Amino acid sequence: MRLISRAVCAVVPFVAFLWLGALASAQQHSHAVPVASPPAAGQRTPAPQDAYVYIGWPNEGQTLSAGRIKIWFGARNIGVAPAGVTFANTGHHHLLINVPIPPLDEPIPNTKNHLHFGAGQTEAFIDLTPGTYTLQLLMGDAEHVPHDPPILSKKITIHVR
Amino acid sequence: MRRRVRYGAFALVSTLALAPHLNAQPQSLPEGAKVYIIWPGDGQVIRRGKFWLRMGLSGAGVAPAGVDKPNTGHHHVLVNTELPTLDREIPNDKNHLHFGRGQTEARIELPPGRHTLQLLFGDANHVPHQPPLYSNKITVTVTP
Repeated sequence: MRLISRAVCAVVPFVAFLWLGALASAQQHSHAVPVASPPAAGQRTPAPQDAYVYIGWPNEGQTLSAGRIKIWFGARNIGVAPAGVTFANTGHHHLLINVPIPPLDEPIPNTKNHLHFGAGQTEAFIDLTPGTYTLQLLMGDAEHVPHDPPILSKKITIHVR
Repeated sequence: MRRRVRYGAFALVSTLALAPHLNAQPQSLPEGAKVYIIWPGDGQVIRRGKFWLRMGLSGAGVAPAGVDKPNTGHHHVLVNTELPTLDREIPNDKNHLHFGRGQTEARIELPPGRHTLQLLFGDANHVPHQPPLYSNKITVTVTP
């Protein structure tokens, strides 16, 4: 009986020590995650320096066959985070099809011309019928509001036939 | 009675000891999801060895490390190394680059010679998904 109690007394601090050690290393490995606080009402999330987005595919002026068309979203000097996640220097992609840039101080509309990629997607397949289309990317923050200044790609024109 | 208390204490401490590992359940991704290196291509010759590596992801989303959202993860670039053990945290060293801020492009610098590059997707805790999602391993040649 006394033996058991001694064994427990010896094991308990050891296990507690292991547990604390594991916790500490888990925290270390998380690289001090920079969780930004959401911007105050009426203030837009600042854009990271030198951040830009671009449409990696298709190219400007390209002619493509009607149907499912792959579009990949390039982002440099900014990371991707799903909608609703406030994390420093991130945003999520929105694809503007045949529309001008929406108002920049409110959430990007959610319509068939303003596609949201709030699950953190970095590419998309869209169905296009024959015609001429303009495509442009616009990053939005956790609340779908463009950054300040806005992170916008060049607007490209493609032909579908 | 005393014995019961001791066993209780032991059980409690053992549970606490295991707690950090319990939240590291392997995450899954939608079927058909894949990661691939958009650029450079396999066999690419790169002068002076400084380039932007572009990371492609189909059928899933990117989220920064520590963000536990279904069907997401973050990219890791393996440089000149084999796949690590897939049921634990991806090492963090010069051969295993972490992109835990949700980056989809990385500035890479490599000395002249042949190098291999491979992407490995990791979950919020830097552990590969189940089943793991990794790209083809490509080889690039850097010239002076």
